[in-house]
Amino acid sequence: MLLSLSQWIQSIGFLAAIRESALVYPVIMTTHLSCIAIFGGMILMTDMRLLGLALTKYTVTEVVTGLRPWKRVGFVIMVAMGLLLGGAEAEKYYHIPYFWIKMTFLALVGVHALIFRPAVYNKTEEIDKAPMIPARAKAAAVLSLVIWTGVLTMGRLIGYYEGNKSGDAPVAELRVK
Amino acid sequence: MIAYDPTTNPLNNNEWSFPFLECIHILGFTLSIGTIALLDLRMLGLALQRHTSRELAKALAPWTLVGLAVMLISGPLIFSSDPNMYLRNLSFRFKMGALLLAIVYNYTIHRWAAMKEPAPAAGKLVSVVSLGLWISVVAGGLFIAFF
Repeated sequence: MLLSLSQWIQSIGFLAAIRESALVYPVIMTTHLSCIAIFGGMILMTDMRLLGLALTKYTVTEVVTGLRPWKRVGFVIMVAMGLLLGGAEAEKYYHIPYFWIKMTFLALVGVHALIFRPAVYNKTEEIDKAPMIPARAKAAAVLSLVIWTGVLTMGRLIGYYEGNKSGDAPVAELRVK
Repeated sequence: MIAYDPTTNPLNNNEWSFPFLECIHILGFTLSIGTIALLDLRMLGLALQRHTSRELAKALAPWTLVGLAVMLISGPLIFSSDPNMYLRNLSFRFKMGALLLAIVYNYTIHRWAAMKEPAPAAGKLVSVVSLGLWISVVAGGLFIAFF
């Protein structure tokens, strides 16, 4: 059922056009990758702040609440670009295990938020008052780093699965020859 | 062209080292470009307003440097997998030009604007150029696989 759904998705006109366009596809990927750089950097710095390793002159509240709207903007753009990229090649992606592992990691991002938003991210003022950064805040940061690194790694590996027919990584093809 | 046989490179002799290096490269530029972009947003008046851009610049500088170091170690290693292909590649040449400009810009004009805090309009212009330069670097890197 998922397979036929994926075939239907990628037959949608504008998604097929993206797949077939020499320019639109890499431009969307560039947007996706630029968002990783800019907004992924914010995730990294928030985690480093929670670990007490960076931006220590800033309160946890300042970093978490100050970057939150930007992370949301980044997340929306990134997901939108991801839907275009995945949708354009839905049937191919359906067969790529890395894609499904990536989706699992993204689901874990949601689980992480469900657990740590009430315990950490919505209690930043408490954390700022505490003499030491509580262990649960550090755990949230470490798990965030692990999960997002997983998302990134699996995302990159999608381009390596089965012969790179989309032209995803000719570099890798050259390597094989 | 470089007289060198890439098949002798360990990177080309196992399946995992190349994508692994790419992931390290992406993490590296996420750290460097991410911290630079954060400072740009501060200079644009859009984030972390309670402290000055000078304070933010000082706090982020070591992280930017670590990210740049990771980028500049993993990048040349990736390049070594097939130097002649990269040297012929137009996107790669564009990327190297943009990268050189972006790094020089970051440690001259960008740093000056963050530390001296000139008129807001000047700071904003400097930030927009900075974001544009770094996105060009990312674009150049991605387009290597396409053009």
